Amino acid sequence: MRLTALATLAGALAAATTPAMAAWHGYISHPLGFGFAAPGEIKVEKGTYRGEVAGSHDTLVFRFDDDNIEYKVVVIDMTAQANNAATLLGEAEYTFQDGKKVLMDTFGRLDRQYGRKLTIDLPNNGGRTTAGFYFINGRIISLQATVLPANGDYDSPEMARFVDSITFFTVRAPDDAIELPAPPK
Amino acid sequence: MRRWMSGALLSVVFTMAAMPAQAAWKSYINKELGFSFMAPGEVKTDAGTFRGAVAGPRQTIIYRSAEDNIEYKVTVMSFVQAQAEGATILGEREYMFQDGKKLLMDTFARVESGKDTVYGRKIVVDLPDKKGRATGAFYFTKGKLFTFEATVLPAHGDFASPDPGRFVDSIVFVLSRAEPGAIELKTPQLE
Repeated sequence: MRLTALATLAGALAAATTPAMAAWHGYISHPLGFGFAAPGEIKVEKGTYRGEVAGSHDTLVFRFDDDNIEYKVVVIDMTAQANNAATLLGEAEYTFQDGKKVLMDTFGRLDRQYGRKLTIDLPNNGGRTTAGFYFINGRIISLQATVLPANGDYDSPEMARFVDSITFFTVRAPDDAIELPAPPK
Repeated sequence: MRRWMSGALLSVVFTMAAMPAQAAWKSYINKELGFSFMAPGEVKTDAGTFRGAVAGPRQTIIYRSAEDNIEYKVTVMSFVQAQAEGATILGEREYMFQDGKKLLMDTFARVESGKDTVYGRKIVVDLPDKKGRATGAFYFTKGKLFTFEATVLPAHGDFASPDPGRFVDSIVFVLSRAEPGAIELKTPQLE
């Protein structure tokens, strides 16, 4: 009896010291034509992207933070230059890994789209990022998950879970997927 | 002294005779298709077909040469009506090139500079059944998919030959950079 109480106490203590892991939710954007899954609370931000070929573009960022892993979906509207899709995507991929230690650089294939998946170590022990890059409907869609040093588990499967959750067939999104908010004005 | 020199000279002549004849590399240009490259041997023009799940069936323009048991091939396909899908069409072609083969290298390729930069990929694979080693470079620009392939056949023997690299790295898309006097290639009429 005393043993059971001790075991229960030990279990409760272990649970209290384990960081709380947020539940994963499905998200979907019908206007943008994609869905994905991520943990934690969503934040919508604006940013900028610049490339020699692409020029300067505003970006729409859907961001999540959980257990010292940053999850970002970056949408870059390049409709006006969509005829140069292959080079624009190549430039974004190249820029992502330029000057960093590349751990993986492979094909990304899903829903009739070909892109790339890359994993890099950030400079100055800043963490490890796995990213997927696709060009669809005039936009670059990039999913990027960064394990920060505070997390420490650079082999965490959560990065791949996030990057591989992307779908461009909205019928594949879960029924309870949350519609992404409209971009901020 | 004279006998020694004659012997040395004879030895050089024999060595050269035993070496396979290396054709000179020449520059080629197709202004209509907007590219230039270098290759050895006699470049022949041909037409072919390609089919990809995304790209669909396509007619292809082919320029090929062979030299010292290395095959050089440039393939051009037009996707004028599907330029916005160029990234996926290019990715599919790259994927097909390495699918089921032993991948030795898969890296970024960049031609030209600044705003004129064209991004693609360079891939090296070993062909199945020891049929040789193929180096490919792939680009999609201005509505066309360009594939440059150099295959070192087993009869050549030196799979580390620098010639495939020389071939795929010779591509030029900004024609003002093409070699002066480059030989003009004709564009075959496709159906």
